[in-house]
Amino acid sequence: MINVKNLLKLITYQENSQREGFVLEETVHDHPKSAKGESSPGGEDSHGQREAQAEPAPQKKAPAVRRAFKKPIRPADKANHKQKKKENGAAGESQPAPTSSQTMGEPPISNLSVSASLAENRKIIKKLYGLPANKDIVVRDIVLGTSPAIDGFIVFIDGLVDKSIQNLLLQALMLFAVRPVPAERGQLATYVKEKMLPGNQVVLKSRFNDILNAVNYGDTALFLEGCAEAVLVETKGWEHRGVDLPTVEQVVRGPHEAFSETLRTNTALIRKIIKNENLTTELLTVGSRNRALVAIMYQRDLANPALVAEVKRRISSIKTDRIIDSGMLEEMIMDTPYNLTPTILATERPDRVASGIIDGRVAIIVDGSPYVLLVPATMYEMLHTGEELYSRWQLGTFIRLLRALAFNLSFLLPGLYLAVVLFHHEMIPTELLLAIAGNRERVPLPSLVEVLLMEISFELIREAGLRIPGAMGTTIGIVGALVLGQAAVQANIVSPVLVILVAVTGLAGFAIPYYSLAFSLRIYRFYYIILGATLGFFGIACGLFTQIVLTANLKSFGVPYLAPIGPRTVPGADVVTRLPLFFHEKRPDYLNPQDITSQPDIARGWLEPPAKDGGKDY
Amino acid sequence: MSHRQRMVGKIIKEGMFGPGEAVILLAISSISRLFLSYPGMLFEIGGPATWLTPLGGLVLALAAIFVLSLVLKKSPGSTIVEINEQAFGPYLGVAVNILAIVMVLELLGATYIREFSEAMLVTTLRFTPISVVDAAFLALGLLGAYLGIEALARTARLTYLYVLAALLFVILALIPFWNFHNLLPLLGKGPKEVFILGSLSTATLAELVIAGVIIQAMGGAEKLTRIGYRFIFMGFGLMMITLLDLVLTYNWTVSEEFTQPFLRLARTIYLGRFFQRLEAIFILVWVVVGALKIALLLYATAVSLARSLKLPDYRPLLWPLGLAMYILSLLPVDMVTTIRLDNYLRWLLFVPAYLLPLLILAALWLKGRGARAGN
Repeated sequence: MINVKNLLKLITYQENSQREGFVLEETVHDHPKSAKGESSPGGEDSHGQREAQAEPAPQKKAPAVRRAFKKPIRPADKANHKQKKKENGAAGESQPAPTSSQTMGEPPISNLSVSASLAENRKIIKKLYGLPANKDIVVRDIVLGTSPAIDGFIVFIDGLVDKSIQNLLLQALMLFAVRPVPAERGQLATYVKEKMLPGNQVVLKSRFNDILNAVNYGDTALFLEGCAEAVLVETKGWEHRGVDLPTVEQVVRGPHEAFSETLRTNTALIRKIIKNENLTTELLTVGSRNRALVAIMYQRDLANPALVAEVKRRISSIKTDRIIDSGMLEEMIMDTPYNLTPTILATERPDRVASGIIDGRVAIIVDGSPYVLLVPATMYEMLHTGEELYSRWQLGTFIRLLRALAFNLSFLLPGLYLAVVLFHHEMIPTELLLAIAGNRERVPLPSLVEVLLMEISFELIREAGLRIPGAMGTTIGIVGALVLGQAAVQANIVSPVLVILVAVTGLAGFAIPYYSLAFSLRIYRFYYIILGATLGFFGIACGLFTQIVLTANLKSFGVPYLAPIGPRTVPGADVVTRLPLFFHEKRPDYLNPQDITSQPDIARGWLEPPAKDGGKDY
Repeated sequence: MSHRQRMVGKIIKEGMFGPGEAVILLAISSISRLFLSYPGMLFEIGGPATWLTPLGGLVLALAAIFVLSLVLKKSPGSTIVEINEQAFGPYLGVAVNILAIVMVLELLGATYIREFSEAMLVTTLRFTPISVVDAAFLALGLLGAYLGIEALARTARLTYLYVLAALLFVILALIPFWNFHNLLPLLGKGPKEVFILGSLSTATLAELVIAGVIIQAMGGAEKLTRIGYRFIFMGFGLMMITLLDLVLTYNWTVSEEFTQPFLRLARTIYLGRFFQRLEAIFILVWVVVGALKIALLLYATAVSLARSLKLPDYRPLLWPLGLAMYILSLLPVDMVTTIRLDNYLRWLLFVPAYLLPLLILAALWLKGRGARAGN
């Protein structure tokens, strides 16, 4: 019966659920409403949690041999999903939604409040951290040098704290605190915070949940006898990599700073460029196990509120145990994860992020990742580097056009070669045809196998070059490529023309500034090789049409991926070509920022004729 | 309009695109016939004055757009399918819709698939079975139609510059071959052939019907005239220029012998010893235009059928309609039969493109008069 039902379900009409859930609307004034309707992170959270609950739990059945593919829930599916849930029975509905930590099996003890008894607090801390087995957690008993002396203890994680700050803290508490304390022990924490501690960030917390979060992030917690609050002192100071040169997005002209793994350093790098009080940093936590901090940065007076709400909604709705890098978050929040083309921009350059934020975009920084995500992103922005803006416009435009050529060559060239060689010989002038044929004469392999062989070898060299330990990696890569190419030609396995072709394709791929896009084009190249070898130019044209239609259908946080050309919006001065800076009067229209004007019509005030009174004082 | 009808109109999610994209989509779609054997047939009608035949067609098409806009303005928010039903009643209306719009578009889609496939076989894939190329075109059409009119409009917007550049390149590269004596006699086979038969032939545009079906995605009836006039000027302008290029390059007696006149033009290009035989590059443009046309026809067929049958979505209809298109496209025995069928279909297209809007206007007028008399 079940099979019959499934069969019937297969052939009956199911409502289409392919539409995207979020579209960045045209008018700014409509947004607060839609933002309210769509965002409400709390509401969405509970939905998400309920969904997690409604999913069929494995229960106590025998473990399944093969894991069934679970279709991810799209926003558009939610209505259907809710319906299913109702059908499943109201029992699940009536129970309160568990928190994410509960679902992951963590003890609810962390929800407890701080007790007035020091012994009790010590016991809870020991239980929470699994002491004494947990060796890098330090619980140190101290006696405050006040009159009368007060017992207390501090908790911190060795390696995460700055020892010099902590010494200062202990000195202040144990040696210099020689003043009388108030008799009211309940107010002791406030007294210590206000009068005795020189630390720059000191807060009081009464719930263990908050205390654990702070200690896990490098703070030191101070518990005092008779006080139901803990004093949290900011003592963060772990080993980290400093601000370094960009390794992937190098430029000749422009800042040479790159993001590092520390969230605060990264936010500061952006703030260093945008010295504006409207620049807002909001913090979210993702990943129930690693509790990664995610910062969202945007200009409060520029970014579309609906966009900010959508970013927050997507990030806060994620239920997973870990987010180690921004790449993981990217995949979780992107609109079309099944498409090969990336729709979120990840960059290691603070200047690019700052520029994006001033355009009205939202930056997403994940603690521990040197790549910052920028949303929404269009394909044209993925072909920019920022350097075009720093060099003069003629140079910038030339580089852009060169890059456009590289973009096309990187995935089309081998396919086109095969199409021409196998199907359209008439296109090749006789001399060239004879040269190619002469070279191919000694090669026993068919052209398709020859191309695939070289392409796969090239990919292997590239991958191996990356993985070889040490600085010799790239050298070996290049030497390997040369040796392999030369040897392959001499052994009559491939023709020399093909080696040139593969090298040009490889160069074109390296000329694409965004790694993720270049990578996807590398994969697309193999599709075009197959299409060119089977159907010639017709196959390539079929592939191009498919790719264009699919890419035109993509969206990045509600913004069409090929904007401002497909669909046509107000053309900017910085899309394919790069016009002189004084023409960049508007921000990108497709972002619908709160203020579209970037600069007045006459940005170079010195061109205006001076007034009679001697001119303005600039 | 019944509540259900209004609901259907809202449920079919078509997406939206701007007038610029609409103009380009329809214009690119309308010039697709230039790449097939159609210009050769026009030469049989017009002779050396073939390039003048689109003039009369242009006037007729403009008039058709005007009439269509009058019809669509009668009921803002509806497409030609719903208005048809309002004019002719629920039963006759559905029958007229299916026979005059859905069927004609479906047949037209089938002939286009076949003609483009034949063109590919003639041009490059000589040993490939027609069914394979046919299936590839159908697959592209299905994908485009499935993703919707918005994606198609964007694709047209993204590719039209390349299409125009290719046309312009063919025209400019052939200037050395032009012979202005080929234009004589100026009125060709006679004014009757050129301005009546030629006009009637060039005026039959499937886009006139498609515009009525996708009007809501284009922004409503009030934008139709603006979009319609522009796309017609663009489409007919490109057609005239290409035909003129053909007449100037080859004598009309030679031109009417070509199975694929545009291919012949591309093949003629000779820019020195290194750059000759460039026609293969035009296959890229050709296929993109063909796939857009087929996808648009399939989309319009599916949407008009879904609207006629009050279905909430057109997508489930794509597969059966596409399969039917595939089967129909393989029915003609050979290319000659396909071209002949295409000529018949062109005359049949007069019914939904020209006759139907006039009939609807008449029916609505009669209904209104009846209602006034009743009052």
